[in-house]
Amino acid sequence: MAEVRYYDIRCVRGEITLVDIDSGVVESAGTSFFDKAVVRVLGPKGWGILTRDHVDLDSRREVESLVEAASRLAAVTEDHLDLADAPRGVLPVPPLVEDPREVDLEEKTRLLAGIEEAARVPGVGNTRARYTEGIDSVRFLDSSGNEYAYEAVRSGFSVLAIASRNGVMQMGSERDHITTGFNLRGKQDLGRKAGEVAVSLLDAKIPKGGAKRAVLDPELAGVFTHEAVGHASEGDLVREGASVLGGKIGEAIGCAGLVIVDDPTLHEFGFMPVDAEGVAVERTEIVRDGILRSYIHNRETLAAIGNGVPGHARSEHGAPPIVRMSNTFIENGDATYDEILEECRDGILLIGSRGGQVDPGRGVFQFNAEYGYLVEGGELAGMVRDVSLSGEILSTLHNIALIGNDRKMSPGYCGKGGQSVPVSDGAPHLLLEGATIGGRGE
Amino acid sequence: MNGDDLIERILREGERRADEIEVFYARGLSVGAEIKKGVLGNAEESEAWSMAVRTVRDGRIGFSATSDPDRWQECLDAALASGRLATPQQWGGFPKPADLAGTPSANDENLVVAVEDAARMVDDLLSGAAEHPVEVVGGGANLARSYLAVANSNGVFYGMGRTAASVSLETIREQSTGYEFDASPFLAEIDPRSVGERAAWLAARSLGGREIETGRYDVVLSPIAAASLIGQVLLPALSGRNVKAGRSFLADKVGEQVFDECLSVYDDPFAPGLGSAAFDAEGVPTRRLVFVEQGVLRGFAYDLKTGYRYGEGSTGSAVRSGGEGPGIGFHNLFIDGPRVKEPGDERAIWIHDVVGAHTANPFSGDFSVEISNPFWMEGGEPVEPIRTAMLSGNIFEMLADLGGLGNDTRRVGRLTIPSIRLNNQQIIGK
Repeated sequence: MAEVRYYDIRCVRGEITLVDIDSGVVESAGTSFFDKAVVRVLGPKGWGILTRDHVDLDSRREVESLVEAASRLAAVTEDHLDLADAPRGVLPVPPLVEDPREVDLEEKTRLLAGIEEAARVPGVGNTRARYTEGIDSVRFLDSSGNEYAYEAVRSGFSVLAIASRNGVMQMGSERDHITTGFNLRGKQDLGRKAGEVAVSLLDAKIPKGGAKRAVLDPELAGVFTHEAVGHASEGDLVREGASVLGGKIGEAIGCAGLVIVDDPTLHEFGFMPVDAEGVAVERTEIVRDGILRSYIHNRETLAAIGNGVPGHARSEHGAPPIVRMSNTFIENGDATYDEILEECRDGILLIGSRGGQVDPGRGVFQFNAEYGYLVEGGELAGMVRDVSLSGEILSTLHNIALIGNDRKMSPGYCGKGGQSVPVSDGAPHLLLEGATIGGRGE
Repeated sequence: MNGDDLIERILREGERRADEIEVFYARGLSVGAEIKKGVLGNAEESEAWSMAVRTVRDGRIGFSATSDPDRWQECLDAALASGRLATPQQWGGFPKPADLAGTPSANDENLVVAVEDAARMVDDLLSGAAEHPVEVVGGGANLARSYLAVANSNGVFYGMGRTAASVSLETIREQSTGYEFDASPFLAEIDPRSVGERAAWLAARSLGGREIETGRYDVVLSPIAAASLIGQVLLPALSGRNVKAGRSFLADKVGEQVFDECLSVYDDPFAPGLGSAAFDAEGVPTRRLVFVEQGVLRGFAYDLKTGYRYGEGSTGSAVRSGGEGPGIGFHNLFIDGPRVKEPGDERAIWIHDVVGAHTANPFSGDFSVEISNPFWMEGGEPVEPIRTAMLSGNIFEMLADLGGLGNDTRRVGRLTIPSIRLNNQQIIGK
């Protein structure tokens, strides 16, 4: 066999339950099954990685033949990697308030239908709701003798309402996902909110683009944190020279008082009891008082560039682990929401998120709000829609003028390298000076 | 038990317990060579197996899927259980065996799924990138071969092979980045060296861009930028399901001049391409579909479920992704039309790509995105890079008034599309 410096195998066997209701019609409601394994071998230089369905981890022979096959792949690599030592350990998984497996599919469908129905407020023509439940049984073992197993349970939903009038169509959407139990009870309010937002957007204006003072609500400020700082602090991007934050440890990249954290130990939607390489997870302060303190790492990126904390390797089932965020947020400051609006005086308040994207090498990011309000004389004026914000990583954080005291986390999914993993982001309300607002209004 | 035997067994068992049953089966092998720090970093090989079952009983459709052959009975039980909860609907049956008219073109006999071949493609990408003074930060090459089969209790049992070769490269010079890619079923159509050279050119040439003032400008969207925006907004609006649910801007507009008369949109499942197929993901024979002809809206895409429900009939447009049930999609979608003159001949801003296309509003068509690798273009040539800016607009309005289509048609995923000139667009500078 070719030289094997290290190997690990991670198996995820599980079930996915989906319920899809479209304007009162149950389109589908059912469960599917998967069983995926990823085998990694570190050869003389880099990784050989095998993905298989349905591997028997208890069969010594099967494990040996997979390691042998992966080592042959590793032999063609040329990038010399080392693995840093890292603390081991597995956190307890949060207890489930209510186990979704003990709720039958019929009740899930009925509860989701209630949320979907609540979105059908007058003026809404179309509603759609989707329940997603994932039960992952994870097993991991490596050539250093580490072995662990845990179960991750995720449950949540999204609801979309579309209002239309005279050929104009607008949408409102809400979602809520948790890792601590079943999550469909008592959620009709979110359905109603989606419906009401869709209807009120019919009368909203498209703002004029340009540089403005902007207030971001906690959900959008969370996406801002994720796109503007989170990705650029990922150790793999830094190592490969693809992040503007490379070489900036110890430098001021943001305003005084700014603290940015990635914390996989929080029982939010990005929680993980141990990372995908078997490394213990811990709270990582990326930025402290405006100074870049840490990158987020896996073992190989820590060995290559240092300056940070490992335990941030994650993977979608059936895919190799890469450096990812988990629960990413800006810590509370001391400004109240009213003080922020007053200080903004004339600008724009942006609410909710339709997603975002970043080019971390160029240091440019973009994200879109669900809706917003013009701010005039410190008061909310007309509602606006289809408004986005773009900025540059290295200057934008210096432009945070006020940090609120009302942090909230919002769940979502983050895509990188073709893999999607559950995350949460959050922040308090923020006031940004000179934000570039995109909008096609005149 | 091999795949075909297992399918037969599930069909026989399912027939006893439901009116009808369908099995969709896929297996595949792929290899990848991933670039890290300018050399070959990871070498990967993936073997995948998956099976999806749909049952129909009294118009109630059940679905389940598994990647574990040993769990096929559990999967069948789950499909039947799921059918009991689905709302019953009009249903005319899974398709019966038919003569498949066209010949798909998505299988390259000469493509070998070997990591050494992917490693050679990486060498070519890197030697192309070496033409310009940049750092390579990522990218790689992949080779894949798969077999797909769809079978049902009416006697349909179709299978097809597919291949795919793909390459991508990411480069950087200071804070200027470049990204290029290509994918085809046919290995010979992929030129890794030229992909590498283009990715490097973008980063090298975009350096030192000048600021631009907010205002209205003529722009040319590259095929990549156009595909990103059109994929997010136009394609969902052509799905029959969105049309019937009142989620499409184009609903009730069949026969109307909805777009510029130089624009046609059609799906050609027999053209060579990654989605080329003689039957769709439900075993319905595919056919060429015209959605927009010289700007006039001609029709929409349907699968069996939506077709039966609304009395429209399937257009052979069912596709599958991941472990989910079939949905409405496209095989090889073409954005096409007469080329009158080169769209870049008169001064305009060339936009290579956009950041954040997925945040466009798919119902209204409104968007505002950051632009990547923008250049001032004169006489069809990029003359001066622009530092950074946003582009705001409405995709449906843009497509109604085109400034011309380019001769630089290329495949971007399942779309085949030229560059598109749009006059008088909103650009927001910093």
